[in-house]
Amino acid sequence: MPVSTFLGIQTTLRGLLAQQRALDVTSHNIANANTEGYSRQTVVLAPSDALTLPTSGSSSTGAAAQIGTGVDARAYSRVRDQFLDLQYRGQSMSLGEHTARSSSLQQAELALAEPGENGISATLGRFWNAWADLANAPESAAGRQAVIDRGRMVSESINGLQRSLADARVRAGAEYDALAGPGGDVARMTGDLAATLNAIRDAEMTGAQPNDLYDRRDLLLDRLSSFGQVSAAASAAGGMDVTLGGVTIVDANDTTGLSSVPPGAFPLTFASSPGGRLGALLEMRDAAGPIASFQVDLDEVARSLSDAVNGIYGAPFFTYGPGTDGLPALAVNEPAISPGSLRGGPAGPGDNSLALAIARLRGGDADERYGRLVTGIGNAVSDAKRSEATARALTDNIKDRRDSVSGVSLDEEMTGLIRFQRAYQAAARAMSTTDEMLDTLINRAGRVGL
Amino acid sequence: MNTRITGSMLTRGVLADLNEIAGRQSDLRRKMSSGKEIGRPSDDPYRAGRALRLHQELDGIRQYGRNAGEALGWQRVTDTALGHITDMAQRARELIVQGANDTLAAEGRNAIADEIDQLIAGIKQEANATYDGRYVLGGSRTDVAPFDSTVRRTDPLVAPNDAYAGDAYVQQREIGVGVTLGINVRGDEILGGAPGASGNMLAVLRDAATHLRTGDTNALRDTDLASLQGQIDNVLTVRTRVGAGMNRLEAATSRLSELEESATMLLSDTEDADMARTLVDFSTQQAVYQSALNAGARIVQSSLMDFLR
Repeated sequence: MPVSTFLGIQTTLRGLLAQQRALDVTSHNIANANTEGYSRQTVVLAPSDALTLPTSGSSSTGAAAQIGTGVDARAYSRVRDQFLDLQYRGQSMSLGEHTARSSSLQQAELALAEPGENGISATLGRFWNAWADLANAPESAAGRQAVIDRGRMVSESINGLQRSLADARVRAGAEYDALAGPGGDVARMTGDLAATLNAIRDAEMTGAQPNDLYDRRDLLLDRLSSFGQVSAAASAAGGMDVTLGGVTIVDANDTTGLSSVPPGAFPLTFASSPGGRLGALLEMRDAAGPIASFQVDLDEVARSLSDAVNGIYGAPFFTYGPGTDGLPALAVNEPAISPGSLRGGPAGPGDNSLALAIARLRGGDADERYGRLVTGIGNAVSDAKRSEATARALTDNIKDRRDSVSGVSLDEEMTGLIRFQRAYQAAARAMSTTDEMLDTLINRAGRVGL
Repeated sequence: MNTRITGSMLTRGVLADLNEIAGRQSDLRRKMSSGKEIGRPSDDPYRAGRALRLHQELDGIRQYGRNAGEALGWQRVTDTALGHITDMAQRARELIVQGANDTLAAEGRNAIADEIDQLIAGIKQEANATYDGRYVLGGSRTDVAPFDSTVRRTDPLVAPNDAYAGDAYVQQREIGVGVTLGINVRGDEILGGAPGASGNMLAVLRDAATHLRTGDTNALRDTDLASLQGQIDNVLTVRTRVGAGMNRLEAATSRLSELEESATMLLSDTEDADMARTLVDFSTQQAVYQSALNAGARIVQSSLMDFLR
């Protein structure tokens, strides 16, 4: 079988086109060097089908030679490691959870104002001092007024902390509602994800490989994973089932395309903690969560203080019970307790026995309990901060590993640029060489004697 | 497989490092400006709890110091009053010795009796001593004078105004954990006048005045002198007790100031920043920050593009 004279032109043309495609992909990579979630793409080049030529004597031996016909761009592939994606999503969930927990707990810690002059500990100290001063001069009207004032201050600071802790829980709840509620980030991303998955399905049906849509899908899954446990399973027909915290948010309905949960389904109802940021926010809001347990501890501090003082005083000095906002409120029992009625002791005006006994409560149960509460909150916050730092380091580490695989390296693209440019130039040279050869054949051959 | 290093890895790494160093710097800056090792309980929960307890302890020690100072002032007033009472009782004793002399005329004895009546009022006046507006010899009745100190002539037909208006309450002051000290002397303890106690000086003096007016020199010599001496001894005993209390308070005050010093030191060890170390750390961090910035700037800037035409 004869070989066409023009085979060389066809071969170099393929080379030119392939190098051009490779340059296009390189440009695409460079353009997206800073695009979040982008994975670098490569052209898969492969030699095009060879021509089989019978060689001399091949009819008897059956041997044949093959001649190459150049190169084909077979595919444009996305460089991505799915296992790193899974690891990343796991870590991202843990980072989301620890960040939300740490920020909520730090609000509680800030409300403590410890160590400091305005903390409850210092206020309690001044309250005991006022009683001790009253014991030194039980007749003093100023001393009695001071005891009542300090009592008010202790009440206010304990009530203030109780309110701040309740606020921290309310804020966690509000943040959860904003994120998980209708129109929130989760709902919006779910809609995006369903649309992207549908587009991928449509593209795949036509045999295309929509790399950039894959990137978009993976980016959305990455982002969702910081909110909670995400799992994505490909279905047989090319769609994908996606669940968040065990609740299906995108359903690969094989016949009618993918459907996402309707907007009315938000906020989603989770059977167990969804993990991630949503899980942490739910935990902080929860009546059995860590902030609520601080509230219980503080409640015990106030009760212990009120019981101890009232027990010794023999009449209610403090009142303690639900306040107008439903939170427990400590207050000096006014007007029953007033500078006129407050007594240092049951006998004459010089009797200081009660004041002395109450001043001796310093460092007692209420102080002890409060100290434990401060240490408890400190430990919880310090643990949360440490976990957050660890999760952040691990997430960064996996991000690095993923970037190492999928990220765009400009140096690499620059070398690619040179490589493909040179190859293109060489192919062009080959083309002109062939052209010159044909020129010789067509224009110069057979002109003997002209 | 060689690890590919991409641009985003580099920038992320540089940023993360800079962030961490800046965080450490801000922590050190807080330590330097506040002078405290811990700004929040989570910086060191154990240390924060310990600092709270030490603050409490220090508060208590300072309060005990104030209590002891108060008590000392109270006892000084008491001591002075007891001193004056003793002086006047001694004067009365001298007068009785003079009046017991049989050669003295009745007018002379009457004059001495008048002076004793004056001394009785003077002694009661001393017993009404006050500290900070409070009557120190009245038990818990610190708002009323324990004795009526107007001069009333001793007369068998007229009731004397020598009743004790206070009560038997013992005023306690706390000068240490669980250490209390009764600081008051009751008026009835030395002068009598019910509600029943050991002293009886006023009645003894009243008897002497009566005996002077009736010229009963035997009674003056035999019983009154001895009784009065007994009452003076009683006051001296009580005064010794007050003196011992004052010694104890002074000892407590100096012990409390030592305790305060050591508690302050302990607290400072617990919560104060080590300034020298913090400063050294800070300048180290600054140097590290500089070099991280330097390295970051160089590595992020350069690329193959700089070398290709």
